[in-house]
Amino acid sequence: MALNYLANIGRFIPELLACVTMLGLILIEATYGERDKDKKILSAASDLGLVMVLGSLIVQFNDTPTAIFSNAVVIDPFSTFMKIIMTLGTLGAVYLNGQSRDVHQGVKAEYNILALGVLVGAMLLASANNMLILYIGIEILSILSYVMASLNKIDDRSSEAGLKYVLYGGVSAGIMLFGISHIFGVLGTIQFTGMGALLQSLSDSQVAIIIPSFLLFFAGIGYKIACVPFHMWSPDVYEGSPLPVTTFFAIVPKLAGMALIVRISFVFFSHDGLLSQSWLGLLVIVSALTMTVGNVSALKQKSIKRMLAYSSISHAGFMLAGAVVVDSVGVRAIAFYGVTYLFMTLAAFYIVSFVQDKYGNDHFERFNGLMYRYPLMAVLMCLVMFSLAGVPPLAGFVAKFNILSALIGHGNYTLAIVAGLNSVVSLYYYLKIVRLMVFKDAESNEKIEGFGFVNQGIIAALSLPILVLGIFWNQIFQVVDKAVLFIQ
Amino acid sequence: MFGANLLNWILWLPFVGVIAILCIPKGKENVIRWTALISTLVTMVFCAVLYCKFDRSLGGMQSQFEIIAPWIPSFNINYFLSVDGISALMIILTGMLFVICIGCSWKIEKMVKGYFALFLFLEFTVMGVFMSLDFFLFYVFWEVMLLPMFFLIGIWGGENREYAAVKFFLYTFFGSILMLVGIVGLYYMSAEVPSIGAHTFDILDLSGGKFSDMTVNLFGSEWNFSHVFFWAMFIGFAIKVPVFPFHTWLPHAHVQAPTAVSVILAGVLLKMGTYGFLRIAYPIFPQAANHFADWIAVLGLINVIYGALCAMAQTDLKRLVAYSSVSHMGFVMLGFAAMTTAGMNGAVLQMFNHGTSAAMMFLMVGVVYERSHHRWIVKPDGSLGFGGLYQQMPKYAIVFIISMFASLGLPGLSGFISEALIFIGIYKAYTTITVLALFGLLIGAAYLLWMFKRMFFGEVNEDCKSYSDMNTRELVYMAPLCILVILFGIWPAPLLDFMRASVGNLVTLLGNY
Repeated sequence: MALNYLANIGRFIPELLACVTMLGLILIEATYGERDKDKKILSAASDLGLVMVLGSLIVQFNDTPTAIFSNAVVIDPFSTFMKIIMTLGTLGAVYLNGQSRDVHQGVKAEYNILALGVLVGAMLLASANNMLILYIGIEILSILSYVMASLNKIDDRSSEAGLKYVLYGGVSAGIMLFGISHIFGVLGTIQFTGMGALLQSLSDSQVAIIIPSFLLFFAGIGYKIACVPFHMWSPDVYEGSPLPVTTFFAIVPKLAGMALIVRISFVFFSHDGLLSQSWLGLLVIVSALTMTVGNVSALKQKSIKRMLAYSSISHAGFMLAGAVVVDSVGVRAIAFYGVTYLFMTLAAFYIVSFVQDKYGNDHFERFNGLMYRYPLMAVLMCLVMFSLAGVPPLAGFVAKFNILSALIGHGNYTLAIVAGLNSVVSLYYYLKIVRLMVFKDAESNEKIEGFGFVNQGIIAALSLPILVLGIFWNQIFQVVDKAVLFIQ
Repeated sequence: MFGANLLNWILWLPFVGVIAILCIPKGKENVIRWTALISTLVTMVFCAVLYCKFDRSLGGMQSQFEIIAPWIPSFNINYFLSVDGISALMIILTGMLFVICIGCSWKIEKMVKGYFALFLFLEFTVMGVFMSLDFFLFYVFWEVMLLPMFFLIGIWGGENREYAAVKFFLYTFFGSILMLVGIVGLYYMSAEVPSIGAHTFDILDLSGGKFSDMTVNLFGSEWNFSHVFFWAMFIGFAIKVPVFPFHTWLPHAHVQAPTAVSVILAGVLLKMGTYGFLRIAYPIFPQAANHFADWIAVLGLINVIYGALCAMAQTDLKRLVAYSSVSHMGFVMLGFAAMTTAGMNGAVLQMFNHGTSAAMMFLMVGVVYERSHHRWIVKPDGSLGFGGLYQQMPKYAIVFIISMFASLGLPGLSGFISEALIFIGIYKAYTTITVLALFGLLIGAAYLLWMFKRMFFGEVNEDCKSYSDMNTRELVYMAPLCILVILFGIWPAPLLDFMRASVGNLVTLLGNY
């Protein structure tokens, strides 16, 4: 048994590396002061750790799927793929944190440590193969997120964000646990493996219990990916948190939740029956609501950060729509959406962050005439905005096209049309930023310090995939197709 | 020479121009202008080669120009270009108008580099739309076209340009999304058709009425697949044409856009909508096209009458021309509804002729606007905006007369032939509508002549005394259009021969249902 565990650890290296980096950072931090140079060393250390995690994940990607730790955790290409995206997201957010001045200056490596911790939770979530691991993953993710949200302890709004997050998160975790306990009560197991078959052999009275318990269970995940009606916390938390934190929240927890939903839909509900139909019906409704509410709320926002928060809600709705189709086309669509969403979100938040650092707020007017001051940045921001709206030939379009084709391939025209119309609505508010940047005159000619040579290069590198994946997506598809391999 | 790759040259040359312009440093405005001109001119030369090498006896796609390469194998998407008589005609029109538009944009001073780069990019996308035979590729070009248009209107437009640009973008995007759902639906449906048998975006494979008997489950009930999807496509294209009631973006976009963009908008982009009907909606769903022919005829009639009446009420010269476009595109729709050889030929000819005559009208508006900086026929305070231009600018008046009469369909000028063909084609099937549409012509004559009277006759207005007559550059870019409208008014055979076989194919297909 012990040997078995040791052998298993080999498959668990990425998570362990993340933990080691985290612990290492705590040690290093204690020995360094608050000078800029020390901070640089700390962020270099965390970058190094993350790159190692990334490397080990890439090595792992081609391995055959296996379940480890007595079947509690599965390592399969899909989870590894999602982990790679999440690690990249963390790397991007950590770098942004090093550049941004939005996080309180007295904070040293806390951000990096917490982000790594959240990443470990998110990785567990993507690999969870029983209810307990799932719950542990969610809690690691959540508790550390609460702290991250209130990282600017002297800022009222940041503290408020943290508190809101705690209250909402605590309640939904409780509800979820309640649901899980019922599921355990009915099925007598917390293992995912075999649960799909068990669910099929239930009597009618058991089904009557299990449907509401899954509903409660869904509340917990729904809150993590901020889908309607569990999204209320998200705009406030996104707006109140420092920008690097918001960036991180928009990517890592969301994709982790999405990975989880895909796995659950596959493992539990790939058979036809009343239960699957209810679960998928629930997803359809939630997905349509999430897209619509997110988009409509984004229309009237005055702060770009808040607008992007709402827009990220609607993107979660789009990804959920891919989960409605429980087959490889749907998963492929979600995986591809995840990749493009990562790059679009990072590039958008980078640009917003540097502008906000300059002016102290992120009101729309700050973007006036950016085209005439920083043409490259403005062009890239336009690309990102068009891509988010789904205009070809950009990656965002291909992502939406895949979701649509997954839906229509299954005859789900209603949701496809809702999704399509939502793209049109979203175009309106994305165009707002484009309009300000290009059609308005610049208010001032001050230099924006964040847009140094290196940062501009990095933003360009982040935006490049948006263009490339929009035209040459066949190549990435071959990778994504591998990610679709599953343990059933 | 260039045989097999001709379409590639026509498509990618403007794009090469974009790259070249982006590489030219700021401050060398004239180099940029000349680069743009040369790149469109060379494209035009290739279009002329296309015109010469085109085999007029073939009705289908011409395999001598065909280019096919896999793009996204996992979705069976190909880079598939070819032309038939209809698309080749549109490509030639596009190639020609872009050269002229570069000529008329010579005086643009604001962000020259961006302007010409976007303009050439626009040409690239428009050419792509007219050439692609893969539905996905078509859609990508169709959509990408919005980006340069959005910026061209939004940056170089008039006072209310932002509103116009956004409205244009949102409207067209809405239509495209419906089309996208339709495209993907077709893709999945195609595998269920025995004669296709595989998922495909190939427009030629999809064409031919193969979907007539299919049903689709929508919103919980069974629908006739081709009827529903015909309308999804229809709305996508109708917004571009624009067909009433989807036309409300057009006056704004036209009025706010700079002259050259208006010319392209009226001359080429509106044709993309009607081209969409001919290439996609009709061949793929011939049965639905027959089924809804009455609707299309009625919509066409509304366009003709309503557009003309709106034009009559305008006091802004450009708005007037914009609404006259709505009216003239209505004739194209009428020709489509007829589904007879004469009607279809007339409709395609009208697409070409409107491309030249509307372009001329907008260019004329641009010429006077460069001098007056306003476009009021009647100013808001009730006084005339122009007056006595005939005395002040005699050359301008002559060219204006040619454009105006071409536009109102005077016999001997190009517009007459196409409108007459449409009426001949539609008379049998829709007699009442024909008679009513003839009143549209009458109203057309009324608003144009009335406008002409108010602008050109009478005493020279105080403000107009400083206006100089058309200069050489302006005459040079107007001359080819003037020659063409007169030539095709007397001798339309070159155009009709060019497209006859292709239009005949389509009419035969439609006649089978």
